[in-house]
Amino acid sequence: MLEHILSSMIFLPIAAGLLLLLFPVAKNGARAVGFVVSVAVLILGLKLYTGFNGAGGMEFVERQTWVQSLGINYILGVDGISLFVLMAGAVLFPLIYLVFSTKPKGYYANLLIVEGAMAGAICAGDLILFYIFWEVMLLPIFFMIGLYGGEGKVAATIKITIYTIAGSLLMLAAILYLGVSYHSQFGGWSFDIAKMGAMKLHGTGALLAFVAFMLAFAIKIPIFPFHTWLPDAYTEAPSAATFVLSAIMAKIGVYAVIRFVIPIFGPEFTRYALLLAYLGVIGMIYCGLAAIAQKDFKRMLAFSSASHMGIIALGIFCMNIQALTGSIYQIVAHATSTGVLFLFAGVLEERSHTRKIEDLGGIASQAPVFALFFAVAMLASVGLPGTSGFIGEFLIILGAIKFNVVVGILAGTSLIIGVCYMLWMFQRVFFEKSKKASFKFKDLSGAEVAAFLPIVVIIIVMGIYPQPFLKKIEPAAKIQISSISQHVQVAETIVLDKGHKLEQK
Amino acid sequence: MTRDFFLLLPLFIVGAGAILLMLRAAFGKLTLEAASPVSMCVFALAFVAQLLTGTTGHFVPYESAFNGMLVVTDFSRVAALIILACGFFTSMSSQSYFKENSFGLVEYYSLIAFSACGMLLLTMAQELITAFISLEIMSLAIYTLVGFNRKNVGAAEAVLKYLMLGAFTGAFFTMGTALIYGGIQSTKFAALGTYMATEGLFHTPAVVGGVFFIIIAFLFKVAAFPFHAWVIDVYDGASMPVTGFMATALKTAIFAIFANFIMINPALKNQWVPYLFYIAILTMFGGNLIAIGQNTLKRMLAASGVVHTGYLLIALVAVSTDHFSGSVILFSLAAYAVSTLGIFAALSYLTGNGEKRTSFEDFKGLAKSRPYSAAAITIFLLSMAGIPPTAGFMGKFYIIVSAINAGQVTLAVLGIVSSILSMWYYLRLIVNMYFHDAKESFETEKSILGPACMLILAVSVFAISFYPIAI
Repeated sequence: MLEHILSSMIFLPIAAGLLLLLFPVAKNGARAVGFVVSVAVLILGLKLYTGFNGAGGMEFVERQTWVQSLGINYILGVDGISLFVLMAGAVLFPLIYLVFSTKPKGYYANLLIVEGAMAGAICAGDLILFYIFWEVMLLPIFFMIGLYGGEGKVAATIKITIYTIAGSLLMLAAILYLGVSYHSQFGGWSFDIAKMGAMKLHGTGALLAFVAFMLAFAIKIPIFPFHTWLPDAYTEAPSAATFVLSAIMAKIGVYAVIRFVIPIFGPEFTRYALLLAYLGVIGMIYCGLAAIAQKDFKRMLAFSSASHMGIIALGIFCMNIQALTGSIYQIVAHATSTGVLFLFAGVLEERSHTRKIEDLGGIASQAPVFALFFAVAMLASVGLPGTSGFIGEFLIILGAIKFNVVVGILAGTSLIIGVCYMLWMFQRVFFEKSKKASFKFKDLSGAEVAAFLPIVVIIIVMGIYPQPFLKKIEPAAKIQISSISQHVQVAETIVLDKGHKLEQK
Repeated sequence: MTRDFFLLLPLFIVGAGAILLMLRAAFGKLTLEAASPVSMCVFALAFVAQLLTGTTGHFVPYESAFNGMLVVTDFSRVAALIILACGFFTSMSSQSYFKENSFGLVEYYSLIAFSACGMLLLTMAQELITAFISLEIMSLAIYTLVGFNRKNVGAAEAVLKYLMLGAFTGAFFTMGTALIYGGIQSTKFAALGTYMATEGLFHTPAVVGGVFFIIIAFLFKVAAFPFHAWVIDVYDGASMPVTGFMATALKTAIFAIFANFIMINPALKNQWVPYLFYIAILTMFGGNLIAIGQNTLKRMLAASGVVHTGYLLIALVAVSTDHFSGSVILFSLAAYAVSTLGIFAALSYLTGNGEKRTSFEDFKGLAKSRPYSAAAITIFLLSMAGIPPTAGFMGKFYIIVSAINAGQVTLAVLGIVSSILSMWYYLRLIVNMYFHDAKESFETEKSILGPACMLILAVSVFAISFYPIAI
């Protein structure tokens, strides 16, 4: 079992989901299956986490030949970066089945499929395999939004699908370009990610391939200005799908930039990093300001999530070890805090039958435990010291200042926007006078408290004692950074040379 | 001589089956219900025979039969397998179709087998007269099949259009044959190839003109731009299973001979590649524009067939003497065939009496009352759209690899842009089936073969995608 632990984490949920779809099962049965399978995946994940020794390379590697003639292999593996993205999913998924108890069978089945497909995209060590999982993970989301979404579901579904498919098909062209380049440089076919870094790519072809990859990931994350699908999709999607999109799927976009773009397109990435970093900062500020203006709390959380994705993306464009480590740390922190916030938003919507902030008020007095948990997740999301969000954001800002002072200062100061909208929303929803929709608001049940408690504990532990987590991330982050540090140095010397020449003039 | 006949065994089986079906129909010994399994058996038998002749190992590849009139290669063998499978599944899905639509006769199955004979010959033809005869055997049977529903005005219109234009095409083809014969005193592909190798393509104007006419005829038959206009009305007028058969088997046969013809000499291929390049682009984007505007499924599928012709033309532009580019064409044809046959099998089963359900509107809410059919249609559509892990994805994947490998990066990128556009109309049907409420209960006559056909094809969509091809 242990040698196929990754395959089990991928295909167990997918198989369970497909079986649920194929056979008539009652709602409760489907929910139970979903819960049991996701807990099983969590147990496998914990085994993986404890067995992971964090030397920096790929561990738990599985390798199987697939299309031999084209060098396509079934390769899986985790390193310090993918481990945390994978674990974030494994830890959070069981919660969904506990929180949402009255959904149709297809809802739970699609969740299982998306869990497996995302795990596949995270662990894939072959570009084609990655692409397949990358596309497959969109399908359950497509059906979830379309079948169980809100009023504008059809438009939102089509928007997100066309947007992401357009991005990923261009990425497919880039993947094939890489394969063909590899073939012409080394004689044999290969799509193995580990081998791609050895290639020397230059010219327009490489630049176009870089743009295609970045576009696909920028849409998924989303980075400004490719975020326009997000507010509709996040708002119209059922809460579980929003949770999946914001907590895990967006992170896979960031993860993919670290895994594919940095090692393969080092020179291009270095050249455009500043531009991309500015896009990250603009996204942060723009989506943050948009969040302040929202009247619908789910839509507000959607913009808040997009704003935070801006800072996570910024972390990887700074190209130094602090910012990259911070980004990966923030991926987990944001997954736990925002993921929980979206689940709470689902709870809020189900129990009060409204999504308007102005209809709510005074929930804290009706449901103190709910308010407390919500507050912890919210404070982690705004990066209060003592919560997980602080460590990640601190490292990213530190790296950003090191990379470029203007970017660093902009990013650091715009964090305050997050505090504005979050606290203001919290004040209006949880304090002030009780309004009609929040009368008799039911507090979290014992089971729900038990389910959310571990996540709240993780948020606080990660905020107070980050060392054990950082220790597993750093070696892998160092390897990624070392693959581009030579390009960074080259770029810096060019800048210095130009400076000297200017001085001489 | 026996060896030659043995190579053609699958053809004889299908031909004998066609005659048998015709005679049984004439004497009224066979019910319509039973004709479908008989026809399926014929195709299955021929399929097995084809597999066996391919694997006995007695024959070197590129075996020629009947003094070089026909050539049996691995390429033609696989193309024949695809055509036979198309015949099998069309017979299967026709049965459920004729339970609702009453114009069926036993001759229908006989005609399918006859047209398959023509197609099989076409895959092997390496000589212009043979090619013409097989083209006509195929086309005449198809004309009759298109107009099989005599009481339907649409079918009559379709057959008239197809017959007229098809006759022109036949004339073009004979004209081309005559010119080539005038130029090189032979009608064999091989002779044309050696002539070009020694004299060059532009040595004799007659040969240039002849080649031009023949390629026009092929482009018409595969519905490439600008000869695609007929396909929408003809597919729309023909009955569901016939449309499915035309879209798959006929396209396979024509592409097989097209690839054979274009490969006879590198000079010919290189001269034609720039034109095929533009034709491929225009076919893809023209097809997409037409498909986006359609409201009925058959017309949409006809236009999407045009788009797929564009993809296959990319593969044809990239074709070369290595095994990979040839197997790419066959793989994509198989992938396209399995998904298109699947969706037409599903439509044949669900369309109801007098094809009353044909538009996007009519299939609203299908998933609620018939979840399995809707799931099958979704699988076929995703395959046509090229979403992994379906056969359609691998087909497109191989085409693009083959194009980039041949240095046709622009075509590869445009092919991908075209498949982004095509998402729109495939998704539209999925959205209608799943995200809207049903207006009716989708009652159909009970049938075993229809759903069984959909099930087998849905499984094949995944099975084919995991079947690695040889380079």
